[in-house]
Amino acid sequence: MKERKIKIKTENLEVYYGEKQALFDVNLEIHEKEVTALIGPSGCGKSTFIRCINRMNDVIDICKIKGSIEIDGKNINHKSIDVVRLREKVGMVFQKPNPFPKSIYDNIAYGPKIHGITKNKGELDNLIENSLRKAALWNEVKDRLHEPGTSLSGGQQQRLCIARAISVNPEIILMDEPCSALDPIATAKIEELIDELRETYTIIIVTHSMAQAVRVSQKTGFFHLGKLIEFGTTEKMFKNPSNNMTQDYITGRFG
Amino acid sequence: MNLGIFTAILLFCIFSYFFGQTTAKKLVTNQNLKLKTLPTYYGYFVALWCGIPSLILFAVWSLFEPTIIKTIVVGKVLSASQIEAGLTTNLIYQKILSYSAGNFTGDLTDTIKIGALAYAKITSLAYKAKLASILSLASIGFIYAFNKVSKNNNARNDVENILKWLLFSSSVIAILTTLGIIFSLLFESIKFFSSINIFDFLFGTNWSPQKAFVRDASAITAEEYLEIKDAFGSVPLFAGTAFIALIAMCVAVPIGLFSGIYLAEYASYKSRRTIKPIIEILAGIPTVVYGFFAALTVGPFFREFGESLGLNVSSESALAAGLVMGIMIIPYVSSLSDDVINAVPQSLREGSYAVGATKSETIKKVVFPAALPGIIGSILLAVSRAIGETMIVVMAAGLAANLTINPLESTTTVTTQIVMLLVGDQEFDSPKTQSAFALGLTLFLVTLVLNYIALRVVKKYREKYD
Repeated sequence: MKERKIKIKTENLEVYYGEKQALFDVNLEIHEKEVTALIGPSGCGKSTFIRCINRMNDVIDICKIKGSIEIDGKNINHKSIDVVRLREKVGMVFQKPNPFPKSIYDNIAYGPKIHGITKNKGELDNLIENSLRKAALWNEVKDRLHEPGTSLSGGQQQRLCIARAISVNPEIILMDEPCSALDPIATAKIEELIDELRETYTIIIVTHSMAQAVRVSQKTGFFHLGKLIEFGTTEKMFKNPSNNMTQDYITGRFG
Repeated sequence: MNLGIFTAILLFCIFSYFFGQTTAKKLVTNQNLKLKTLPTYYGYFVALWCGIPSLILFAVWSLFEPTIIKTIVVGKVLSASQIEAGLTTNLIYQKILSYSAGNFTGDLTDTIKIGALAYAKITSLAYKAKLASILSLASIGFIYAFNKVSKNNNARNDVENILKWLLFSSSVIAILTTLGIIFSLLFESIKFFSSINIFDFLFGTNWSPQKAFVRDASAITAEEYLEIKDAFGSVPLFAGTAFIALIAMCVAVPIGLFSGIYLAEYASYKSRRTIKPIIEILAGIPTVVYGFFAALTVGPFFREFGESLGLNVSSESALAAGLVMGIMIIPYVSSLSDDVINAVPQSLREGSYAVGATKSETIKKVVFPAALPGIIGSILLAVSRAIGETMIVVMAAGLAANLTINPLESTTTVTTQIVMLLVGDQEFDSPKTQSAFALGLTLFLVTLVLNYIALRVVKKYREKYD
């Protein structure tokens, strides 16, 4: 497999919540159009890490970030970077499905409308159909686009959130335990979807399920107590980890 | 006298609590009996049995005692002498009472002397009987409950049951009071509507109740009726109420809502903790103080400002009253909408930020619609507060019932007129005073309907998205 272009690169990334340090010296390179899985026990900093990539931590007053995060070679914490543009480029799907209390249609139209992506209603309709098709939800909801998004099942809601994320044509999609609130069948659908999305987007997924990491990802990073312990191809990580802690974690001896 | 009896009952209760408790403890230690519940519960049990029946008897007795004593005394007086010309039994009885209390002035007749003697005798007898029967009832309760202690019954559940009934009767009292208020409004209003046509009241546009001052409603002649028929048109009052409330909401809703949004979304934790209590101080200022402010500062300011523009502004104006009322209501809107906006899940905001929305876009398109039912609720609460507000209007908007939509003129509201109708010495059988009850009833119904509609709207909206 040929090495792809580096999309995201972090150097000496450290994150503090007030006095408490959540991430220690994380150095990581994430390649374009690959799925990178982040694993590790609860509270190890995986979520903190991906929330840095679209600067979602800005919302938290006491959060401080040191070191650099570069996307396409540009430091995203630089003053010249518009956080709104950044988030347009870096979409996010959350642990719990969080559709807006609006119709299915409006849920997806929300982002494009804000950014003025489409010129008229016809283009918007097309974009919505495309987003829903990409999220493998179109066939299930095409007859009820104007029903509330919250009326869907949990798995459908999560795919709606994925459709919402891709509606603004991002380059990167961050997924924070997207399947933890879903049943196995819905999970399988999302995993299948992630595999398809890989062709277009760079995906980072935080997961608690080792099996899921194996199924969907090409690269895996293992975090423990705020430190990146090991990072490499998923195959090597699960077959032949170089660190004992990784070995213990993936074989279920701790965590 | 009554205070003495009441204290006696309380002391008896306290005594029986400790007695029951210690007895239960002794049973445990001396006879090695295993009680089903803690000794404290036996204490409560005995105390409640001792106190509740006697307190009920005390209340019932005190309620009926004056009537019974009156009947007996009046009976004695009537059998002892003839009714004096022109004096009703009520009046005689009042005289007897004031003679007994030692503050009687005027002509002393034999009737009153005999009556006062009888009154004194019966009162002291009644007091003794009351004390005796209440204490014996308390003792019976005490003995009954005390006997149960040794029989090892489950006092804990009994106390639980008694408490349940106590709480239930408290809520019944609240409901009965509401009913009482409604019925007293209703009966007086019916009296009013028996002399004034209900349609003249509801749709008439002229309000000048002083025309009907002190005139017996039951003895109105046809000519008199024609004269006062047009005096009770309530439209100007309700229009004035709605108008002033509208002005108040125009001030309170934007300022309150925006400061609520600022507090919930933009203010840091620290500044929120300082700003919110300061805004809430506004709610703690007595309305009469707002009234001063409106009448002495805001009203004259508008008048002078208007004069400098060449406008004729009355110093008592709907604008001044509405403006100050709006300021008073700001904390209701801001505090409640702050709470409601805070209750919107953070995940919705993050979802919006994640597609690249700014803060204000997120608030406008996601947070505000999600919080809307609660915000409507807080606004309606503020509206009902505005409709019921009296003091500011009395002081700042005037008393003249003008049917006007000019905010610079003086106007009046329903509540203000009710105050004006009932202040001072009034005959309660004239249409003038009865009209106050009719106004109160109509206002009550209007607010009731408003609240009902609001609740329905909010509920429907919620069902759609939850």
